[in-house]
Amino acid sequence: MSEVRTSGTGAQASVPLVELTNISKRYGDIAACDNVTLSMYPGQIHGILGENGAGKSTLMKVLIGLVKPDAGAISMNGVVQNITNPQSAARIGFGMVHQHFSLVEELTVWENVLLGEELKFDRARARVLVGEIGERFGLTVNPDARIRDLTAGLRQRVELIKCLRHDPRVVILDEPTSVLTPAESEQLFPTLREKVAIEGRCVALVSHKLAEVLHATDVITIMRQGRVIEHHETHQTDAPSLARAMVGREVSLRSQHAVLGASFVSQSAPSESTSTTDATDVLQIADACVSLGGVSKLKNLNLGVRAGEILGLAGVEGNGQRELGDVLSSLLTLDSGLISIDGTIVRTGKPGSMSRAGIAVIPEDRHDSGVVLTMSVAANLALQRMVDFSHNGVIDEVLLFESAQQLIDEFEIRCDGPNAPLHSLSGGNQQRVVLARELSAKPKVLVAAQPTRGLDVGAIEFMSDRLERAAASGIAILLISSDLDEILHLSHRISVISSGTIVGTIRRQEATMEQLGLLMGGLAL
Amino acid sequence: MVCLYALFIGIALIASAVLVWATGGDWRAVLPALINGSIAKPGRWGQTLTEAAPLLLVALGAIVATRMNLVNIGQEGQLLIGAASAAMIATRGSGIFILIFSILIGALGGAIWSSVAAVLKYWRKVPEVVSTLLMVFIATQLTGFLLTKKSLLLDRSADRPNKTQTSGQLAANTRLPYIHIFGNDISIAVPISVCIALIVVFLLNRTIWGFKLDMVGMNARVAQRFGVSERSAGIIALAIGGALAGLAGSFMFTSGTANYRYTPGFANNVGWEGLLVALVSRNQPLVAVVIALVFAGLRTGSSFLASTGIQREIVDVVRALLVLALLLPPAYVFLRGNLHRDKNKGGK
Amino acid sequence: MDPTIFASAFTPLLNIASSDTMYQSMIRFAVVLAFAAVGELVAERAGTLNISAEAMLISGAFTGAVVSDHTGHITFGLICGMLAGVIVAAIQANLSHRLTIDQFVVGLTLNLFVLGLALFLDARFKPQTNVATKWRVPGLANIPIIGEALYGQPWPMYLILPTVGASWYLLFRTRWGLEVRAVGENPQSADVTGIHVNRRRRQSIYFAGLCSGLGGAVLVLAQIPINGFEAGHVGLKGIIAIGAVIFGGWTLRGTLFGCLIFGYFFALQQALPSIGYTINSQLSGALPYLAALAVTSIFAARTRQPRALAQPFIRGLT
Repeated sequence: MSEVRTSGTGAQASVPLVELTNISKRYGDIAACDNVTLSMYPGQIHGILGENGAGKSTLMKVLIGLVKPDAGAISMNGVVQNITNPQSAARIGFGMVHQHFSLVEELTVWENVLLGEELKFDRARARVLVGEIGERFGLTVNPDARIRDLTAGLRQRVELIKCLRHDPRVVILDEPTSVLTPAESEQLFPTLREKVAIEGRCVALVSHKLAEVLHATDVITIMRQGRVIEHHETHQTDAPSLARAMVGREVSLRSQHAVLGASFVSQSAPSESTSTTDATDVLQIADACVSLGGVSKLKNLNLGVRAGEILGLAGVEGNGQRELGDVLSSLLTLDSGLISIDGTIVRTGKPGSMSRAGIAVIPEDRHDSGVVLTMSVAANLALQRMVDFSHNGVIDEVLLFESAQQLIDEFEIRCDGPNAPLHSLSGGNQQRVVLARELSAKPKVLVAAQPTRGLDVGAIEFMSDRLERAAASGIAILLISSDLDEILHLSHRISVISSGTIVGTIRRQEATMEQLGLLMGGLAL
Repeated sequence: MVCLYALFIGIALIASAVLVWATGGDWRAVLPALINGSIAKPGRWGQTLTEAAPLLLVALGAIVATRMNLVNIGQEGQLLIGAASAAMIATRGSGIFILIFSILIGALGGAIWSSVAAVLKYWRKVPEVVSTLLMVFIATQLTGFLLTKKSLLLDRSADRPNKTQTSGQLAANTRLPYIHIFGNDISIAVPISVCIALIVVFLLNRTIWGFKLDMVGMNARVAQRFGVSERSAGIIALAIGGALAGLAGSFMFTSGTANYRYTPGFANNVGWEGLLVALVSRNQPLVAVVIALVFAGLRTGSSFLASTGIQREIVDVVRALLVLALLLPPAYVFLRGNLHRDKNKGGK
Repeated sequence: MDPTIFASAFTPLLNIASSDTMYQSMIRFAVVLAFAAVGELVAERAGTLNISAEAMLISGAFTGAVVSDHTGHITFGLICGMLAGVIVAAIQANLSHRLTIDQFVVGLTLNLFVLGLALFLDARFKPQTNVATKWRVPGLANIPIIGEALYGQPWPMYLILPTVGASWYLLFRTRWGLEVRAVGENPQSADVTGIHVNRRRRQSIYFAGLCSGLGGAVLVLAQIPINGFEAGHVGLKGIIAIGAVIFGGWTLRGTLFGCLIFGYFFALQQALPSIGYTINSQLSGALPYLAALAVTSIFAARTRQPRALAQPFIRGLT
């Protein structure tokens, strides 16, 4: 990210525009929001910072009418408001740009802008509306384009137009840069500052990225475990204090440096020496090409991972990581190119071929291809190895149970025993089940896609530790992540993927945030 | 939960009584007639058991398909093909080997018929709910056609009246034997079907094959990752469904339906009702054994309704109402639980 | 090549193509299919798949026959047929998209239930019907071959025109239709935007019930040679209507074209003997269904279905 900050002091009017008082929301035992109180002032960009699961999203859903709080009040201009659904929230003046967009791909831009409205269905007027808003806020988009033909950046523009069409007093952006390239992110923040925050509007920027929040906001509220921890003026705080507040304890020097973008050399870096001497790749991907629906997702991708190393594959989401993960999970067939393990070619797309060849995968969406929610923990722990727990095709339940119990103990999986249904486990524990299962198959290669996404700090540390141990034991690890902190924390080498191809590979010691940012933006070194 | 079931069943029965009363019938006569026809009168419960066997088999086939999230509703047609195939073989010869052979051919015929739908699904993306249903009608026409040609299924004997379109009658030594106890005749198809039910339960719940089937049904992508192809599992599941329906047809033919002749309309809705048995038993094979008995009771009981002046078709209505009554309680409970959650999420 | 072979193959085809009985039959069948198909199209664009279209047709047919017999007016019969269709649709919609019972289970049960009920009541009441009067457009109806078929039908048949028009308008020119289409493509996004997903789905099924109910009534009241209600006349036309929707790639034009094609096959079965050709009765009986199967096989893989088709939507479980 560039060094020029667009944050300012934000002229603080004396009267807050929006006040949230003691908002609470529980889901069962978990307090998603716990007595949250904060104020937003007009003309300000208010950052809401916290890790995944800190309660930021729930809080915003309350504002936007998707969630009803158990307690607490919201007032606009001093008047308490009753928000019942998205339409009433819009009428009151709250608008949200969702993280995972609320657009329907098959419809056009103007149709999407009309959705959920109480407007008359009039194509001409809708198109004019799109043009007007686009011009006013500097967000031009072709109203007749189909959403599925648009890039992530353009889709976000449509989301913004949808939001701004109501002329909201408060614009909420939920993790807006998670799907943008650094270049697109750069364009977003000035727009927010110059076009949106004027006229007395307030912008709430919900994020877990320290640098982004420091860069673009006027004030920052930090949330952790559903509670408001601290509140600062942006120019009065810095990354280490934010990080500490966010996480609740001293954050390691490594992470801080990573966050700040300074290059560093850490004394306790994973041993570089072993990975450089043993230069043969266990996993080799040669000229991989895949097209889906006419769009090329992987273009001549070349990658090699060595035994005992962690190769971090960095890149903004949507550049082919998911397709690569699917190919390595036997879920997608390559149009051309080869995958080989220890020199033996593995057929792509054939059920179970990757797994049998020794490639284990922690998928980025475990509900999609990682676990079977309605089966028991024991069954999930043994999915590909059922043969080991059976005699002549009949399952030996006792053996299965015992083996599952062992894994539960070893990986500290919190659950009601091996027979508990998997959906009763928390996200972090479900991820441990996946990890346990994949490692217990004694693989040669482990592909970890976004392994710590959505996990709390404890789970993240556990996962990272296990990955490092697995590498130390000789497994070749491919770490696919859009979280640069994670990449920098764990990898020996870093490759960057952009538009379906590898644009550069560097050793971690030589990596800087700037270089990586450039590479991720698609510019080769 | 049990109260809910009792409540809804009660409502269904009351609604049926109201219907009979509203159309001028004597509603008080319905239940006694049904009970007489199904179990009370001599020899009836043997008949009921015998009629339950094909229902159970059809239901088992449907259960296997549902484990894989497939919708196979073509059992009526698969049954016809099975019965016709068995008839073609069995009326040509005699003796126990022909009997066994023809039964197996019946199962094979049903399997092939349902596999067509499977192939169309995985090769051309035709929804199996549409294809299996269309194939029922095609099966009706096809077997009707078979009955027009002596070279195929039509009765060859010299003393066949010209107008009747039926197959030859099964020779006495090629018929499925009956067990005689307490004055009732029970076809050995009954114990065989129960055994098959037990085998199916075992295969589905205790074997790797059943586990893989569950995997594919619950999360096809995970299954694909670990070596289970959705396509092969699906074709096998549908083929098994067809085979069991075809087997039901063969059993029906060889145990005396229509007096050991294949006639038009042979299936007599056993295919549809077997499906309903599966639905009502919520895909539990052992529950299906019980439900099949209940539905068979409705069938045999309805034959005693004629004397009360009430049309037989009322039984279809009663059956459908019962099905709804048995499907509603779990849905109701689920909804209550969901509404509770929904309130917390802001409702609709 | 012997020219006489050409002639002997060509003449029957020519006779079929120039037979006005053939076209009249074809239009008759196609129109009934179209009522059901157009309604089901709207429901499927919303993401639902209703095999109970069959039950809706049957209920419309039976109710239409009974009411018109009782009141002596065909119009009442048509209106009540529509209402009967809506009632069936209401059961399907609320059991599947409010109480979350699987839509195929409900559809199948409804089909069996309504058929049984209709047969039961028919045996009791034995309604008789007379065919509605024909409306002949003077001049146009005299066009050779197709004139009678297109412009000389009994008047209820022409109701298909406003029905198709209403469907087109609803689906593509109203906000309701936009929301319905959104719900069928991406119910999660629609939900977040504040649209009541299951409510739109239910409404689309009610519309399908209206159309199919009307279609059933038209079948019974406007087509010869039918007197009274007979179950066989509906004969899975509801399912074939679904086939037409698939054939048409879930577009209105394609669906209507599909209805014409299937209508043609039904007509073959009925009209061929009157032209003088005999075809094996079982083969002709199976033809429409074989055709439906073949057509669906060709087109299901090539067309794009609404992405959320047949996927139930339960908030929070996605």
